[in-house]
Amino acid sequence: MTTVTTRPGLAPRLSALTKVVELGPGRLDDKLVSEAQNLLLRAGDRLKLSSEHTVVALAGGTGSGKSSLFNAVSGLELSPTGVRRPTTAHTHACVWGLEGAAPLLDWLQIEWRHRFARASALDKGESQLHGLILLDLPDHDSIRALTDTEADRLIGLADLVVWVLDPQKYADASTHRRYVTELAGHDAVTVFALNQADRLSAEELAELVIDLNDLLRREGVEHPSVVPTSAVSGRGIESLKSVIAGAVSRRRAAIQKLEADLHRLEQRLTRSMPVGEALNVPASVDEARRMGLTDALCDAVGVPAVGEAMENVYAERSGRWVGWPYPRWLDRFRPDPVKRLRLQDVGDEIRGITTGSVSAQSAEVANAVQALADGLTVGMHPVWRSAVHRAARSQLGMLPRTLTEDLTQVAPRLDRVPGWWRALKVWQYALVAAFGVGLVWLGFGLLLPGRLPASLQLLGDTSALPWVALMMASVLGLGILSGIASRNFVELGASRERERLEREMRRRVAAIAEKAVVEPVERELGRHHAFYQAMRGLAG
Amino acid sequence: MNTAMDDGRMDDGREESPGEQTLTFRAITDVPPSDTAPAVPDAPGPTRPSPPPAAEADTGDQDEAPTSVWDVPVRRPPAAPTSVWERPSRPAPAAPPASPERDEDLFTETAAASSDDEDLPDSADAPAESDHAPEDATAALAEEDDSDEDADSAWLWGDDESDAAPDAVPSDETPLDDAPSDETSTDDAPSDEAPSDEDDAPSDEADVAGDLAGAADADADADDGDGASDVAEDASDEDETASATADDDAGAEDVPGEAEEDLPPETVEALTAALGALRESVAGLRFGLDLPGAEEARQARADLQAQLEDYVLPRVRTRTAPALIVIAGSTGAGKSTLVNSLAEKNVSRTGVRRPTTGVPVLVCHPDDRKWFTEGELLGGLRRLDKPEPGAGMRSVVVVATEKLPQGVALLDTPDIDSVVEEHHEIAHRMLDAADLWIFVTTAARYADAPAWNLLRLAKERGARLAIVLSRVQPRAREVVLKHFVRMLTEYGLGEIDRFVIEESAVTDGRLPDSEMTDLRLWLAELSVDDKRRAQAVRKTLNGVLDSFRTRVPALAKQLELQVAFRSELRGDVEAAYMSALTEIDKAFRSGMIIQGEVLARWQDFAGSGDLMRSLQLRKRPRSSQAPERITAFRGALKAGLESVIVAAAARAAEEVAGRWRHRAEVGATLAEGLERPSDELVRHAGRAVASWQEHVIELVRTEGVAKRSVSKLVSFDADSLSLIFMVAMFSGGRTEGVPHRLVKALLGAESLRGIGAKALSDLRARIGMLFDEESMRYVQALDSAGIPDESAATHLYQATYNLEVAR
Repeated sequence: MTTVTTRPGLAPRLSALTKVVELGPGRLDDKLVSEAQNLLLRAGDRLKLSSEHTVVALAGGTGSGKSSLFNAVSGLELSPTGVRRPTTAHTHACVWGLEGAAPLLDWLQIEWRHRFARASALDKGESQLHGLILLDLPDHDSIRALTDTEADRLIGLADLVVWVLDPQKYADASTHRRYVTELAGHDAVTVFALNQADRLSAEELAELVIDLNDLLRREGVEHPSVVPTSAVSGRGIESLKSVIAGAVSRRRAAIQKLEADLHRLEQRLTRSMPVGEALNVPASVDEARRMGLTDALCDAVGVPAVGEAMENVYAERSGRWVGWPYPRWLDRFRPDPVKRLRLQDVGDEIRGITTGSVSAQSAEVANAVQALADGLTVGMHPVWRSAVHRAARSQLGMLPRTLTEDLTQVAPRLDRVPGWWRALKVWQYALVAAFGVGLVWLGFGLLLPGRLPASLQLLGDTSALPWVALMMASVLGLGILSGIASRNFVELGASRERERLEREMRRRVAAIAEKAVVEPVERELGRHHAFYQAMRGLAG
Repeated sequence: MNTAMDDGRMDDGREESPGEQTLTFRAITDVPPSDTAPAVPDAPGPTRPSPPPAAEADTGDQDEAPTSVWDVPVRRPPAAPTSVWERPSRPAPAAPPASPERDEDLFTETAAASSDDEDLPDSADAPAESDHAPEDATAALAEEDDSDEDADSAWLWGDDESDAAPDAVPSDETPLDDAPSDETSTDDAPSDEAPSDEDDAPSDEADVAGDLAGAADADADADDGDGASDVAEDASDEDETASATADDDAGAEDVPGEAEEDLPPETVEALTAALGALRESVAGLRFGLDLPGAEEARQARADLQAQLEDYVLPRVRTRTAPALIVIAGSTGAGKSTLVNSLAEKNVSRTGVRRPTTGVPVLVCHPDDRKWFTEGELLGGLRRLDKPEPGAGMRSVVVVATEKLPQGVALLDTPDIDSVVEEHHEIAHRMLDAADLWIFVTTAARYADAPAWNLLRLAKERGARLAIVLSRVQPRAREVVLKHFVRMLTEYGLGEIDRFVIEESAVTDGRLPDSEMTDLRLWLAELSVDDKRRAQAVRKTLNGVLDSFRTRVPALAKQLELQVAFRSELRGDVEAAYMSALTEIDKAFRSGMIIQGEVLARWQDFAGSGDLMRSLQLRKRPRSSQAPERITAFRGALKAGLESVIVAAAARAAEEVAGRWRHRAEVGATLAEGLERPSDELVRHAGRAVASWQEHVIELVRTEGVAKRSVSKLVSFDADSLSLIFMVAMFSGGRTEGVPHRLVKALLGAESLRGIGAKALSDLRARIGMLFDEESMRYVQALDSAGIPDESAATHLYQATYNLEVAR
């Protein structure tokens, strides 16, 4: 038996298992979780109870001679033997060295009347068995055992199991399939006693031992320890005793058993949820993915389009305020299709459309969130994948509304009219007025020269007329120029506004995404990561 | 049919209080203790008084039987210690008057019995000795009728029919296959009871009814003085009579089973045809879904098919073929040793290694050899002359030996419970093809669960069964036997033939001859007595045919389950995609499309004056628009629609996978890789939406020939108008909005409605097609699972029905 292995101690692995049990529910198969819980409980119980004692169980099919062997080892006729099958229906226990054993026996649920003690101190040559609790189990393969799981339970609890086989039944599926194969890896805490060896000739026995060894190796028991015994003739009893004594005196069987159980559980856990690549899955949402999500959500809200619309609408609307007024007036004389269609008020309504509001398109929001989860869960176990998806979607119902509400606060008022637009309009009208004045002057000067009252003589001064004309021309020119210039200014301002707006909206979208999507997802990712770390810790 | 009788023991025995089942029976006082043939004079009991069988018998029993205390709850306590092993026989009541008819017989009987009687005194050893007893007796009687032999080989009560012939076979007595006890009772009250007895199932005799029977027997045999031997005989008598009379009486109940001895060819033909049809429909079955029970169903299907081909069909065609006796049991029980000993030749390997036998070995008389090498029985197996390494599951070794009687063949099978699971399968397949089963177990194993599972199977199948308990330590014999018998009785198998073989040195793979005598006798009898053999064969065959009544419908049920499950899964798919469509419709109506980017683009479009510009007065030259704005708007609309479709499809896919997973584990496997919409979905959706947009433009252009009055004034750009139209269409209930009024004014209410309806139905159709493609993936997954259609189940039911008709 290999003793202390290089693996880390039991305690860290058990605490890793605790972690797995804590994080597992809902992700792992319920049965596995409850088995893990049971193992934790059992480990806790067993480690609390006497470490001075080693529980050795004699298990096997009906008629293999468990009770006879039990009696032979204990040297007393404690357990009834017989030819009827099955014989033993209750577990019997014999204890070498009583102190501290009672709680252990209670834990094993051995009835009082089936407990026996050997005061080993008094027994010469038995001192090496001090600390042994020998159990004689009922069989596990008779028709009675179909309804009685006593043997099953104690095989799980015992520190060391001695499988009592006999030449007739040693290859029974009921023993091998249900237990031996399952307990592969328990080499250190499993002994095979080939009982009733007296029924065989020496050659037959040798052949059989070889066959049994082969069989066990095929089943994954790497170093089977097979002891031929005969309860009748007493042959082999001593070697069985010494094997047991070895385990008892080392006081490690309990730990080894737990380690083996842990190992087995770990293997099953690993099988159902292989660690594999799982730890390469990011434990948090990286910057690129956040950006991606924000971009997608911005698209869902239409942030770039909102900016563009703002720019265009401002440019369009500003024309009415800051543009050169003459072409506008000219337009009024053009026939209006809307009027012809008797849709006079539609024009206003169209302007009303542009009052500016922002909303999020929920399908696109859903797709964005989905894409994030899809990207994150590549290589994940399906169970975890759907858990991450669930986490990502946890606030999906609220998300479009939250986005809409939040962004509406910063949405540009498309119908807003800045003061300088008004000033420019006044300026343009002032220019128009100046033009008008010039026009009047020119008219007076040209049409009524000399017929003017004295007070207006100045107007009649023809020498001033060219200057007036020049002034008018420059007023017009100034109007055009300032119209163009202010339009450029509007556009410049609008694009600056647009940049600011987009930044602000992105910031807000990112904040909402962080809170509503990234955080829950990261929680789940963290759980995933912790789970697999624990799984790795379990493997030691 | 025979099995009908097997099944339900009637209540005739009910008057007996169940408590009586456990009788404390002692050997009959009359019997002189140690004499070899002591009983002869004493037990001349010729006449039966024919008292009310039940009550009397019991009391009688208790009175006598001073010696051995059988607390075995065998209701029919063995008359003599020896008889423990006999079929739990009827007790011998205190010598009541013997029936005259039996006089002559008694003589022989008692003679035979005498051997048993020897044992009487030392009741403890009795069982052991009794084994030998038959030898002697039989030796003497060997040449004679088997009948006599049987009598003393009392032990195997099973073979006892022989005796009956002479005496007990009053013609009025109604035959019962193996319900010896019952028959005995009929002895007493022959004609009246007969019918009811017939109905009784032998197996059930073990129960209350047994008491009655026992009682009756007791009376019958009382005269003989020593119940033991007689009982055995009687049992046999009944058997015999049963078969014998079967023909005459053709017991109405027994019907085809019994009477079919010489089935008219057309019946055989019909039966063969029905079975062939059944095989056809069974052969085609597939259970693709791993539902609970599917694995079992697959196994059951394979078993059924193998049994039909290996056994039932050949057996129906050639009823005269030798009986195939299959020896089955636990590993290490000594099956091969038994076969070797019976064949007196090492035909099957024995050894300490477990499991020993891997390839079945068939042993038969040389004359029968051709049946097994050329016949159709076990037709699927390759014949070998000697075991070869690597001879797999599908072969059988055929060995001929003179030592076996004609008409019976032994088949040594692999074990039923070793680690090599392949063996279990072979063993079960062999058992399926057996005419008789010999079940071998040992003193160490008789309580093993697998053994009892097999026995239960045998009982269910109604197969003719004999049990050999081997490796019995002589000193433990009595206890073990008693316990074993009790267990058998509890399982309703108290009536079957049992043989005990003591643990003894095996030399050269064989047991000492002394241990084999009884079994050999049993075989010899089967060999000689054609009728009886045919009957046993038929009984098993009928049992198998009967088992089809439940096995085939069970298959059909699983089939229906699978079919139903598949349609449930399909229903899930349909429901999920239906709700996705509804969801999309809702999105259309609720104006969800006109949100986000689409809204912004619409604002852009309208606010930047493009909207107004798209309406042009006629005569005016086209002003240059900003085409990129239109393109962007259309792109936004497309993206919005696309995302709605994709989101709905994603939800549907997830829902399907979720529902499937929820339904069963197999659903999860099927849904593997189907939780997400297909990769092409986005592309396909984009294409669908784009072409829909084209379609709408086309509609607006062709159908939207605007009101004449309008078109005189205004020309419009179809592209822009179609966009406005889409906005109007998706902006939900707000029919008063700008886009609505615009398109209405431009297109006219009439054609707007027409275009609207067409556009919407076209879009729906396109989305529907997309979703059809999506749901196709699930349908394919289901189809590839290989589930037969509904008709397969119907075929099965039909085939079962036809089979019943043919019988």
